[in-house]
Amino acid sequence: MSKSDKTTSPISDKLAKLQEYVEWFEGDGFSIEQSLEKFSEAEKLAAEVEHDLQELKNEVVVLNAKFE
Amino acid sequence: MENTSNQTPLLSVSDFLAIVNQTLEYAYPSIEIEGEVASFKINQGKYVFFDLKDAGGSVGCFMTVWQLRVPIEDGMKVIVRANPKITQWGKFSLTVQSIRPSGEGSLKKSYELLKTKLEGEGLFNEERKRPLPAMPTHIGVISSTQAAGYADFIKIIGDRWGGMKIEVAHTQVQGEAAPDQMIRAIRHFNEQPELPQILVIIRGGGSADDLSSFNDELLVREIAASRIPTVVGVGHEIDETLADFAADVRAATPSNAAQLIVPDKREIVAETRHAMKRILSRVAYAIDELRASARESISTMYQAIETGISSAEQALQDKRSLLSAYSPMAVLERGYAIVRGKQTVGEKLHISTNVNEITAEVTDVKKR
Repeated sequence: MSKSDKTTSPISDKLAKLQEYVEWFEGDGFSIEQSLEKFSEAEKLAAEVEHDLQELKNEVVVLNAKFE
Repeated sequence: MENTSNQTPLLSVSDFLAIVNQTLEYAYPSIEIEGEVASFKINQGKYVFFDLKDAGGSVGCFMTVWQLRVPIEDGMKVIVRANPKITQWGKFSLTVQSIRPSGEGSLKKSYELLKTKLEGEGLFNEERKRPLPAMPTHIGVISSTQAAGYADFIKIIGDRWGGMKIEVAHTQVQGEAAPDQMIRAIRHFNEQPELPQILVIIRGGGSADDLSSFNDELLVREIAASRIPTVVGVGHEIDETLADFAADVRAATPSNAAQLIVPDKREIVAETRHAMKRILSRVAYAIDELRASARESISTMYQAIETGISSAEQALQDKRSLLSAYSPMAVLERGYAIVRGKQTVGEKLHISTNVNEITAEVTDVKKR
């Protein structure tokens, strides 16, 4: 998987990759021989997404700058 | 200068005016006066003159157009913050620092005037609206951190999504200083080397006067000019401010702003699980297809074998029939006999018929 930059959410990268798996499974390139490996990768990714969503917290920073 | 005869100070006109102005400044460093606008005019595109009056009196006012943050016209009730002064020509007037409409009617009138003006400039056009990133990682928030709307926003955005850096510029969100503070905060975010992906301006509900800061012309223009896509969520659902119209995305409330900015992680989890189910059912379908195909192949092979066996059986039957036809027994059954032995008189012959085995003696032999 490509390393995400600062403007792309790691979750969004993983969701995009998961979507690629779904498309592979639903597309013409699907083959039963490769499906086991691909399914196991997709399953791992889905578990990571779920874990990330549960664990990731927002970092709230109140700026010191004064706007008065 | 001093009049020595009666100890009464003798002043030049300029000094007198300076002293009076000093006294006025000392007595009224800044005052707010409420009244109705009359004879409003702008000279040379720079200087604003009007009278502020009520039933009992009238006073002239002066200010520059740059201090005029909301549209004003004759008949509007306003509150001015001003310093009283006497001009060098001896005319008493108020030097106005700020002016704001007062009362529902004036607020509404001023709002409508500015809305028409900014609409005419295309500031609220749909084609100016930019889309927001689907899953932002960095957002800027402009709000009062003490406001209830801010707390709602932070709570809801935390419930819905994670992993974001949320930078908060604490500013006033009501009162005379609010528009300028929010303008500075917008500029601050827009000048950062690493721009937030979304700029959110939020404030909870309040009276029309409380929310009037969001109808400030300069603030509305600053929102429209922001390099960072903006979301404005001010007041309750029924509230409408010009800042809302200038924003790329208008949220009904601060909570709604949080809903519009990030997806709900619970929905994403549900979608992910659904995607896995789709994948799984695709695999199951493929396996079923394979099974069906294997079953069909086996059936075809079985049928081919059965056909082969039948053909072989038939061929065998044909051969049997042929062989039967060639059998000497078949000839005997037709009434013929097989004669074995020397065809010489006195010799014994062995004769086979279909029913008997006969031994006979040759008594005569003739050539045909």
